[in-house]
Amino acid sequence: MIFPDKINSNRVGTLRVPTKLFAAVQFLFPFLVLGSLWEVLIRLGLVNATLLPAPSMLMQELYELFFRKQALQHHLYHSLYRLLLGYLLAVMVGVMMGTVLALSKVVRQMFSVTLSLLISIPTIAWIPVLLITLGLGDKTVITAIFLGGVFEITYSTVAGMRSVDRQLTNAARIMGATRWDLFFKVLLPGSLVSIMPSLRLSVGYCWRALVGGEMLSAMIKWGLGKMIYEARFWNDVKVMLVGLAAIGILGVVLDRLFLKTLEQATLEKWGMLVER
Amino acid sequence: MNYNRYLYPIIPLLGFFFCWEIAARFSLINTGLFPSPVTILNDLKELFYQEASGRSVLLTHLVVTLKRLFYAAIGGTLVGFIVGVCTGLSYRFYRFCDPIITVIMPIPGIAMAPLFIIWLGFGDVTIITAGAVAAFFPIAHNTSIGVRSIDRQLVRAAQIMGANKFSVLSQVYIPWSAVYLFTGIKLGLARCWRTVIAVEFIAAANWGLGYMIWDAAEYLNASIVYGGIILLAITFTLIEKGLINFFERATIVKWGMIRS
Repeated sequence: MIFPDKINSNRVGTLRVPTKLFAAVQFLFPFLVLGSLWEVLIRLGLVNATLLPAPSMLMQELYELFFRKQALQHHLYHSLYRLLLGYLLAVMVGVMMGTVLALSKVVRQMFSVTLSLLISIPTIAWIPVLLITLGLGDKTVITAIFLGGVFEITYSTVAGMRSVDRQLTNAARIMGATRWDLFFKVLLPGSLVSIMPSLRLSVGYCWRALVGGEMLSAMIKWGLGKMIYEARFWNDVKVMLVGLAAIGILGVVLDRLFLKTLEQATLEKWGMLVER
Repeated sequence: MNYNRYLYPIIPLLGFFFCWEIAARFSLINTGLFPSPVTILNDLKELFYQEASGRSVLLTHLVVTLKRLFYAAIGGTLVGFIVGVCTGLSYRFYRFCDPIITVIMPIPGIAMAPLFIIWLGFGDVTIITAGAVAAFFPIAHNTSIGVRSIDRQLVRAAQIMGANKFSVLSQVYIPWSAVYLFTGIKLGLARCWRTVIAVEFIAAANWGLGYMIWDAAEYLNASIVYGGIILLAITFTLIEKGLINFFERATIVKWGMIRS
C-alpha cells in the first residue's frame, strides 16, 4: 500500500546503508532543511527574529532552560507525573466500567447513550467546570486527564469484550474456570485487540487534556503547558517554541516507544496481530 | 419489548438530573457550585432573551463560534486536501513531509494559541488560524493514505483510454480517495471544534461560546458554565450527525462507495 516498490530502498547510489541509520537520517532530513532555511532567512534579516527566533537561538534557550535555570526538568517532571496518574486512573476505571457494561445487557442498554453523549463533549469543556468545583490546582489537571481518556477506553473495552468468541468463554466455563479466571484469562486478553489501539489513542487525548489543563488552571507553577502560557506575558517566543517542540517530541515518543512496546509485548507476542 | 431500546437509555439520564434537582432544592449540595438543572435552563433562557444591540446574546455567541468554525474548517480542509494529494502522489514529498507532520500533529491546538496570539493578536484571526491548523493534520494524513491506496489498474485503464494527467487526478484519484477524505474531515472537524472552543477561552475578544463559558467561570457563574457545555454538546452532535451525514449521502454513498 505504501509504495511497495520503494520500501527498503536503503541505498544511496550503489552504497548500502544500515536500515535504522537510513530511517533516522530520513526522519531528520526535513527538519535540517527547514531549520537551515529558517536560520538563513533570519541571518539575512528577512524575518523578524523576536517573532520567529532562529533555531540557533532556540538551542541556546534550550541550554539556558535546561542547565542554567534548571526549569525544564521541573516542568517535564510535573507534566509527566500528572499524565501518568491521570492516565492510569483512566485505564483502570475505563476497563472496569467497560467490563460492567459488556457483561450486563441491562446496564449496557441503559448507559450506552449516556456514554456516547459523554464522549462527544470535548475534554477542554470540562475544564471550566473542574476549575470552579475542584479549584485551580493539581486536582483539576489530573481529573481533566482522567476525563480525557476514560470514555474512549470504556467504549473500546465494551466493543472488545463483546467481540470475544462465545465458544471460548463457554469452553472456559465448562472446564471449571471461576469468574476471575474467566475475566483475566479469557475476556481481558481476548479484548486486547480492541483495547490496545484505544490505549494509544487515549494517551493522545490525555496529553491534550494535560496541556490544556495546565494552561488554564492558574494555581499550578510547573508544567509544560504552564511554561508556554506564562511565556506569553513576556512575549517570549523562544520559550514557547522550545515548549511546543518538547510537547510534540514527547507526544511522538510516548506513542512510539511506550505503547508500541506494550503492543509488541502483548498482541504481537500472542500472535493476535498480523505483523505490519 | 422493542421500546426498551428507547426507554432504558432515558432512565439514568432522567434519574441523574432528578436527583440533582432534588438535592439542589433541599440544599444538600452547594447550589453555588452545582445549580439545579431548572436554574441552568432558566439562566440560559434569560441569556437568550437578553439583547445586545438588537440581537439575542446567546444566539450571537453561538453564531460567532459557528462562523469561526466554518472558516477554520474550510481553510484547514482546502490546505489539508492539497497537501494530502501532493504527498500521496509524490514519494519524495511524502518522505519530506511525513516526519514534520508526525511531530507537529500531537501538539494540541491550545498549546499553539499563545504563539498565534503574539503573531496575530487577540480575536478572530488567531482563533480561525488555530482551528485551521488543527483541522489540517488529520485531513492531510487521511487524504494521503487514500491517494496512496489507489488501485493501479484503474489509473492504467484511464491512461490507456487517453486520459491526461489532470483528468486522471480529478476523475480517478480524487473520487477514489473521497472515502478517506471524509474520514479525515470527520476527525478534522472534531479537532477543529475542540480547538476553536479552547482558543476562545484564552484569545476571544468578547463573543463566542468558549468566551461565554470562560467568562462565566471567572465570575463563578456556574449555571452558565453548565448550560454552555450542554449547548456545546448539542451543537456538535447536530453538526456531526446532520451536516456530515448529509454530505456523505450526497457524495460517497451516492457514488456507491459505502453503504449508508
